Amino acid sequence: MAPKADKEKLINDEDDVLQAVILADSFNKRFKPLTTNKPRCLLKVANAPLLDWTLESLALAGVQEIFVVCRSHSDLIKEAIAESRWSRPGSGIRIVPIMLARESFSPGDAMRDIYTRGLVTSDFVLVMGDLVSNIRIDEVVKEHKERRKTNKDAIMTMVVKESGGRHRTKSKGDSAVFVLNSETSECLHYEPVTGYPATKNVSIPREILAEHAELDIRNDLIDCSIDICSVEVPSLFQDNFDYLDLRRDFVRGVLTSDLLMKNIYCYIAKEGYAARVKDTRSYESVSKDILSRWTFPLVPDNNYPGSTSYEHIRGNKYIAKDSSVTLGRTSKVGNNTLIGPSTNISEDVHITSSVIGQDCIIGAGSVIVDSYLFDGVVVGPECVIEKSIIGERVVIKDSCHIPRGCLVGDDVVVGPEAQLEPFDRLSKRRGEDDDDEEDSDVEELEASQPTSIARLGDESNAVLWPKTPPDDEGEDEDDVENFRNLRFMRIGDTCSDLEESEDESDSEAEEDSSDEEGSVPSGALSNVLDDSSAMNLANADARAEGEFQREVHASLERAFAEGHSVDNAAVELKTLRMASNVSLSRVREAVVASIVEKIRIVDDPAGQMKEIASVIGRWGGLIDQIGGVDAVESLSALQMHCASSERMPLFGKILGTFYNEDIVDEDDIQKWHLLPASRGVGMAAGPEADNVKKCWAIGKAMLASLAAQDSEDESGEEDDEEED
Amino acid sequence: MAANAVADQRIVENLASRLRRRQVVGSRASALETLLVIRQVVAKSRFSNFEQLVDIIRAVGRKLVEAQPKEHSVGNTVRKILHHLREEYNNATREVVPPLAGSFSIAKFVLQGQPRKQHTLVKAENKLHLKGDDPNDPDSFAKTLKPVLMEAIQDAFDELETVYDNVAKNARDHIHSDEIILTIGASRTVETFLKTASHYRKYTVIVAETAPSFGGRDLAASLSSAGISTFLLPDSSIYALMSRVNKVILGAHAILANGGMFATSGSMLVASAARVHSTPVVVCAGQYKLTPLWNLYHEYSQLDFGDPAKVLGFEEGDLVEKVDVVNPYYDYVPPDLIDAYLTNDGDHPPSSIYRLLKEMYDDEDTKL
Repeated sequence: MAPKADKEKLINDEDDVLQAVILADSFNKRFKPLTTNKPRCLLKVANAPLLDWTLESLALAGVQEIFVVCRSHSDLIKEAIAESRWSRPGSGIRIVPIMLARESFSPGDAMRDIYTRGLVTSDFVLVMGDLVSNIRIDEVVKEHKERRKTNKDAIMTMVVKESGGRHRTKSKGDSAVFVLNSETSECLHYEPVTGYPATKNVSIPREILAEHAELDIRNDLIDCSIDICSVEVPSLFQDNFDYLDLRRDFVRGVLTSDLLMKNIYCYIAKEGYAARVKDTRSYESVSKDILSRWTFPLVPDNNYPGSTSYEHIRGNKYIAKDSSVTLGRTSKVGNNTLIGPSTNISEDVHITSSVIGQDCIIGAGSVIVDSYLFDGVVVGPECVIEKSIIGERVVIKDSCHIPRGCLVGDDVVVGPEAQLEPFDRLSKRRGEDDDDEEDSDVEELEASQPTSIARLGDESNAVLWPKTPPDDEGEDEDDVENFRNLRFMRIGDTCSDLEESEDESDSEAEEDSSDEEGSVPSGALSNVLDDSSAMNLANADARAEGEFQREVHASLERAFAEGHSVDNAAVELKTLRMASNVSLSRVREAVVASIVEKIRIVDDPAGQMKEIASVIGRWGGLIDQIGGVDAVESLSALQMHCASSERMPLFGKILGTFYNEDIVDEDDIQKWHLLPASRGVGMAAGPEADNVKKCWAIGKAMLASLAAQDSEDESGEEDDEEED
Repeated sequence: MAANAVADQRIVENLASRLRRRQVVGSRASALETLLVIRQVVAKSRFSNFEQLVDIIRAVGRKLVEAQPKEHSVGNTVRKILHHLREEYNNATREVVPPLAGSFSIAKFVLQGQPRKQHTLVKAENKLHLKGDDPNDPDSFAKTLKPVLMEAIQDAFDELETVYDNVAKNARDHIHSDEIILTIGASRTVETFLKTASHYRKYTVIVAETAPSFGGRDLAASLSSAGISTFLLPDSSIYALMSRVNKVILGAHAILANGGMFATSGSMLVASAARVHSTPVVVCAGQYKLTPLWNLYHEYSQLDFGDPAKVLGFEEGDLVEKVDVVNPYYDYVPPDLIDAYLTNDGDHPPSSIYRLLKEMYDDEDTKL
């Protein structure tokens, strides 16, 4: 019955095959030096390669065709796929490895490659090659397709998982604030959040607040990076060559674009588990989640993606079932521990909350806490290993101490009596003979280091990786990959020093948060902005604005020169505003300024009048089209600009033309006239203040004449102002 | 080996992965799916003697059991089919063997092995002419035997289809008017049993909520809509109310050879409370839950631990880090806490379950 039906389905609706794309490359170096010789997706999590966890997660959801997009070490991935149980007949899944060119450096490049190859034919599931999940993705796909039937513009559904404000699996260094429509869970705004520089404010466009009665603004969601994408998603990447990251560029790009008019939805997974192993910290938390069975039914003793089977013992201990494990009589295996097959654990060893790989040997009296030992690790007697990841075939000799946060690359030998410092990263020094293509970083390292380092022990073959950020290249602090932010993603790093020093840290981060907009300090982020950073904020704002003014000017110049239509120019301005994230009034000022500057100064008064009329007649409409009409503000902008410009004498005439062109009406002038700022109140004395006052006087005269006209004569007032 | 090749077939693989991924859950559903797969495998496969056939079925069974060792009904179904097949085969081929000298005696139990029902006398005209390993026509064996085999599988199938009704057919003898019955979990067998009894008797059911799955809520709603006076009870009050209860009726996940059983978590609590008040504990279960394994309760993992999400929300970030939560699906209830098993093949005390097992399955299949 059921199996038969399944089979028929396979044959009949061939076009209904659910496809998935796995981006297997990490496009970053967070796991170095563990990933020197193999890609991140083949690192073992709970003794099974990460890629297998991802494939099982997809198989659970009934995906039938999977494209694995790989870049570095693609031959290894290809081999691993060929050997895995998924390639056996009868698995019902087709896996196709796709090689990327070496010069693709971002998920965006990968997406463009998917587009050019034409791999996907229908809605597909896009995941990263580091996903561990038991969420029923097929149900999300169903929901997505249902939505597509009514709304063709819903191009993507992101799967997010509720996690609460603080959670070990939720990255502090790389999370996000989602603004969702409470009813439809459409994602209206996306704002990435970094740990350093600490994101303290999130600005939400005013339109969103105006248009929606109810919004959810959430920072408690784990972004699982499971996206149900429509076919047009890769083509959007193709159209926008600057899209690099899926979230920061693509999602933000789509949501803020006035032209695309596409929608992105979120699926908030209430049940099930999904998380990514995107850095060493999440490596630890995902491993722990697996061992404490959050990923059920994907646990070591059930539906385990690796090849060995494990026995589950009280206290969430898992020991390989083939009884090849030797446990010393006096050894203690604590809770939440996984011990791989053929591993030998001597007397008096203490192991807690750790994962021990296959064929490991742990010497007598060693203590291993919260650590992850890959296959074939040999640990000598009396060693202490805390919160570290130890690569394959590493030999740790007698009485070594490996404190928290250390990453030891494959084949390294340390000790005896090595005393590493926290967060040391070691990799194997390469011999003279094997100088095949390798990372240039490693080569540099070796050149800069003496042959033996005292704290690594006498027999060590390791090189120490630098801990401090390379100072020479001016690091871009806004980048997620900046050194301090990466600390939030390191295993064992509490980052307490970073959190304390937050206040004095420079405020480049706040650059984008402008006070004029609906700016919400999100409670979960951190404490409210204090005074000093508010001042910094103003400085930063001024800088950003200066840049923006120049941009607006340039783009209007182009519009003037090439004779664009007012509509097109308006759209261009809108995009510019979105891109640099400034308030509407700044745009208005810039536009008014540009238009006034556009007016040529002619000696002959009649000619001047004509010039003004033609410029304002052609471009005046733009002032109202940049988004929202605010005539009083336009007038103030005009006044302020004229006051500091050589076109001061033209103010009266321009004001008249504004009135004639219906850009402003009498009431607006009246209101403007009443503003204290228009009279130059609060301005430092000087020529500018004088000019402001002069402008005010002109306005007063004009108001008087308008009033006179109104009372005298209802019609034929036109000539009156033209003489003004 | 041919048998292994068969086990790699797509339908087998399909069911194995669905069992592994817990997309097929529940003993009856798993048993039914297993039967379907074996029927297809037998229909398709080629064999020229009986041993080959047995090998094929065992290979399939092994594969499925390995995929999900905690769903015992899968293995039980395979064993049952093998037993049926042997019986049919023996009937068809063997000369009528006179019953062993003397009747069955417990003293010779081990020596005799299978206390087979020897009374099935085969009529001469029914005998098939079976000749295995015929080089001229290797399929002739399969052709002659297949209809018989299909019949045997169909029998097992029918038994599963009607299991609820058969368990419930004596319900009115067990439940009397004005009794107060306590149950826990959401067992379909118990549900049918109680509903059937309600046709004849007027009685009251107390259903424990059964945290953390809260299956009890569904059961209570279903019973109440069938017109039975039903109370829903928090698990914590089970002991307090036990003094008022006349009888405890439980469902089972698997019945072990020692007479104990695995049942939904909370059953142990109910059974212990019942013991204190000397309330009889009765278990309703189909025979496919009888599992010929003795020592399973030593294995901690047999309780089948699920994810902690139902006990502790994933969003409780701070707690998740500091607390280990175990969420077992099942409790092991030892035989001394159970008074009787009501099955679709009569009622049995826990102490005679071993005997039932000997009759139902062949010894050589205990390990597939």
